[in-house]
Amino acid sequence: MPLSGRSSRFTPPEAGAATPVRFPPIARGELSNGLRVWTIRHDVAPVVNVALVLTKGTADDPPDRHGLAGLTADLLDEGAAGRNAIQIAEAMSRLGTHLDVGIGADLMSIGFTSIARVFPAALELAASVVKQPHLSDDDFKRIRELRLSRLRQLRQSAAALGERTFLNAVFGSHGYGHGALGTTGSLETITLDEVRAWYERSVCPSLATLIVSGDVTHAEVMSVAARVLSSWTGRHAAARSADARDGRLPDSERAASRILLVDRPGAPQAELRIGHLGPSRRTPAYHALVTMNAALGGQFSSRINRHLREAKGWTYGARTLLDFRRDSGTFACETSVQADAAGLAVADVLNEFRAIRGPRPISAEELDRAKRSLTRGYVRLFETASNLTNAATQLATFDLPDDTFDCFVPGVESVGEADVLEAAAAFVHPERCVAVVVGDAAGFRGRFVDLGLPIEDVSPEM
Amino acid sequence: MIHVPFVKRTLSNGLQVIVHEDHHTPLVAVSVWYHTGSKNERPDRTGLAHLFEHLMFEGALHQPRGYFEPLQEAGALLNGSTNADRTNYWEVVPKDAARLALWMEADRMGWMSDALTEARFNTQRDVVLNERRQNYENRPYGLASFVTMAAMYPPDHPYHWPTIGHPSDLRATSLDDAKAFLARYYHPGNASLSIAGDIDTEQAFDLAAELFEEIPRGAEIERVTAPSVHARARRIVLEDRVELPRLYLAWPTPGIFEPGDADLDLVGDLIANGRTSRLYARLIHSERIATEISAQQASRELSGVFQIVATAAPGRSLAELDAAIREALTEVGAGGPTPDEVERSRAEAEAAFVFRVQTLGGSGGKADQLNAYNVYLGRPDSFAADLQRYLDTTADSLTAAARRWLDPDAALALCVVPHGRLDLGLPDSDPAQLEN
Repeated sequence: MPLSGRSSRFTPPEAGAATPVRFPPIARGELSNGLRVWTIRHDVAPVVNVALVLTKGTADDPPDRHGLAGLTADLLDEGAAGRNAIQIAEAMSRLGTHLDVGIGADLMSIGFTSIARVFPAALELAASVVKQPHLSDDDFKRIRELRLSRLRQLRQSAAALGERTFLNAVFGSHGYGHGALGTTGSLETITLDEVRAWYERSVCPSLATLIVSGDVTHAEVMSVAARVLSSWTGRHAAARSADARDGRLPDSERAASRILLVDRPGAPQAELRIGHLGPSRRTPAYHALVTMNAALGGQFSSRINRHLREAKGWTYGARTLLDFRRDSGTFACETSVQADAAGLAVADVLNEFRAIRGPRPISAEELDRAKRSLTRGYVRLFETASNLTNAATQLATFDLPDDTFDCFVPGVESVGEADVLEAAAAFVHPERCVAVVVGDAAGFRGRFVDLGLPIEDVSPEM
Repeated sequence: MIHVPFVKRTLSNGLQVIVHEDHHTPLVAVSVWYHTGSKNERPDRTGLAHLFEHLMFEGALHQPRGYFEPLQEAGALLNGSTNADRTNYWEVVPKDAARLALWMEADRMGWMSDALTEARFNTQRDVVLNERRQNYENRPYGLASFVTMAAMYPPDHPYHWPTIGHPSDLRATSLDDAKAFLARYYHPGNASLSIAGDIDTEQAFDLAAELFEEIPRGAEIERVTAPSVHARARRIVLEDRVELPRLYLAWPTPGIFEPGDADLDLVGDLIANGRTSRLYARLIHSERIATEISAQQASRELSGVFQIVATAAPGRSLAELDAAIREALTEVGAGGPTPDEVERSRAEAEAAFVFRVQTLGGSGGKADQLNAYNVYLGRPDSFAADLQRYLDTTADSLTAAARRWLDPDAALALCVVPHGRLDLGLPDSDPAQLEN
C-alpha cells in the first residue's frame, strides 16, 4: 500500500461506461458480372480507402505448387493494360497514392488509400491490374527470382522459421500448412502457364467484393465501378463457398504434445510458438474465446505476459493469439525468450494453458477486466476509412452477418465465468501442443528433458 | 489545406498544454513528450533513457498496479517510445476515460520516485536486455545501425551510442542512476502535454490544471550540444547471420527542419524509395543485381544522417551496387529531377499530409504530431509550414542538396556479409567494432 501522497489522488477516477458501437451501414450493389460493391460512408477526412477482396488465397494453392497464389498476386501489378510495373507505379504516384497487393490464407486483395477527388482515376488503374495483367514471361522470371531471394533471406529469421514450422506441424498437408512464399522447390517448379491458369480460375468477379470506405457516395462508387470494372469477366467462376481445398485438417485428437527444435547456432534467444488447431472465425464460442484469450495472453496485462515478462524478465513480450481463418484457425503463444530460460518458459506457458482450464480458472475480477478492456476499447477499431474497410473485409472473407460488430459489445458483456471455463476446456489443449523452439540446440537441448516431452529435430523446408 | 485547430497554454509550473477538439469519434488521445532521450545520457550509462521509459509503466505512487492494467481495462490503447531526442507516452481512450488517462500521466510526472523499487528496476533491465536480443542481436542485419552510428559520430557525441544502450552499461546502471535521471529530466518544465479528440477545450484545460499544476517545476535543463561532424570516406565490414550481403552508405546531413532536410527527404525518394525511384528501376527492375533498395534522411535535433541501403541479389557483389549508387548520386548532382518526378513528389507530399491527420492518437496521430511540432519548433500548428517545405523544393534545390551533402567519395560504407564471406564486402574494409 502507498504510504504517503495526497488523499484526493489516492483513488483513480472511474473509466466510464462502454461506448456503444454502431458500425456504419454498408450500401450494397452488384455489377452485371457478379462483382459485389460495398460502400461505407466515412466523411471525417477527404480520403477514400479501397480494397478489392477475392476469396481465394494461399490455402487454395495446388499441392506441390505452394506459392502459386502469392506469386500470381505479386505479378498483377508488374504489368497491365500496356503499362509496365514502373509505369503503373508512376501513374498511381501522380495521384499521390500507390497500390497495395496482399495475400492471406483465405483472401487476396488489391487496394489503395487516396485523396477522395482522385478516387475514380486510382480505381481505374487498380481495375486494370485485375482485368488485364500481362503475366509476361519476363516479369514472371524476375518476380520469381525476387521471391526466391526473399525465401533465402528468411532462413536467417528466427520468427519466420518458427512460424513456418508451427503452421506445417499444426495443419499438415491442409492448405493452411504453408504460407505465401511456398518453398524453393515449389517456386522453381511453377510455370507461367500455371500462373495464368490460377489467375483465370481465381481472379474473377464472382469471387470478388469491392469495398470502398471514406468520403464518397455509394452512387458515385457504383458509377465508377460500372465504368471501370464491368468489362472484367471470369471464365471459370467457381462458387464462392464450394471450396475443395486439398488436404484434410489433421486429427488433432490423436496428437500428443511435442517439442520441435529448429537449430539456430549461437542465437541469444529462443523463438517460441506453442499451440495447436483452433476454431473457425464462425465459431459460436467466439465471444467467450476472445474474453478467455484477453485474460490468458491477449494483452500486456494478461497472465502469460505478466508472468514471463513482468515477473521473470525473460522476454520483451509474450502473447497468445487466436488466428481465425475460414476453415480452422490456430491458438498459440508467441514469444522470444532468453536462451537459458527456454525450457522453463515452455513449461510455464503449458502450465498457464492447464490452469485456465480448471485448476486456476478465470476469477470474477479477471473476467471483469477482460470484458471491460474488450468492450470499452472496441470503438477505437473504427476510427479511419481503412479501419472500416478492414472490418468489412472480415465480413466478406468469413461470410459474417452485417451486425457482427454491433453484436460484439453485448456478446462479450454476456460472457460469464462458466462460459470462459467451457471455452478454455474446449479450445485450449496443453496435452496436444506443438512447441516450436528456434534456438541454439546444442546449448539448451538438456533444458527440455525435464518437461518429459518428446523432442524432434526439424528443419523447415524453405 | 491542412488545418488542425488547437489552443496552447502554459501552466504555472511550465507544463505546456495543447488541446485539439475533434468530435468525429468518441475518443480522446493523450500524449506526453519529455524532451529527453538517449542524447541526454552519460556515455558510460547508455540505455538509461529507454530503460527509464520501461519503469514509467510499472507504477507510480497512487497507482501501484502499473499502467497497463488499469488503462487497458478502461479500453485504452497505450504505449511509449524513446529515441535519441525525446521520450513519449500516449493513450487513446474512450472519451469517458480521458480523466483517468490524464490522472495516470500526472501521477508518473509527479509521484514516480517512491514507486521505483530495486525489484522493478532489476526486472525491467532484464526485459530491456531481452528487447535488445530480440530486435537487434537475433535479427538479420539488426546490428547495422549500431555500427553506422558509432562510426559516424565520435565517442563523446550523443548520437554515437544506440538508444537501446550497451549491455555492459545497462548492467552497470543502478536504481540511483535512474532516480537521478528522473529528477533531472521528468518534470513539467521539460514536458509537453497534448490532448486531442472528443473533449471540450476548457474542460481539457481544467483537467490539466487540476491534475498537473501542483507538480513542481524542475530545474532548467541545459540543452545538449555537439560539434558538427563531417563526411569522411570509410569502409567497414560486419559478419552476421544473413544470406545476402547488404550495403549501407551514410553521410552526416542537416538536422530536423534545418535547410536541406526536406530536400534530402525528396532526394531519397527520387533515387531509392519505391518502384518510381531511379535505383529501383535500374538495380531491381532492369539489371536485377539488387533485391531491395531504400533511402532515408533520418533527421534529428543535433544532426541528420542520410542513408542508402541496398541488398545484393544472389551471386552479386556489393562493389556492383556501390558503383551503381555512386552513378545515380552523380546524376542527381549534375541535374535534378525531371518535371514528371517533381509533379509526382509534390502529389505524394500533399497526400501524405492529408493521410497523416486521419488518426487522433498513438504514434504518428494528431496528438503526437502536435507535440512534435511544439517540442522541435515551439509551434504546434506547423502542419502547413511543414508541407510548404516540401512544396518549396525545386529541381535546383534538390541538385544543390545532393551535391552539398551526398558526396559519393565521402560516404561511410558498411558491408554486412554472411559469416565467413568477407570476400563479398567492399575491398579494404575494416572489421566492425561492436561495443558491448
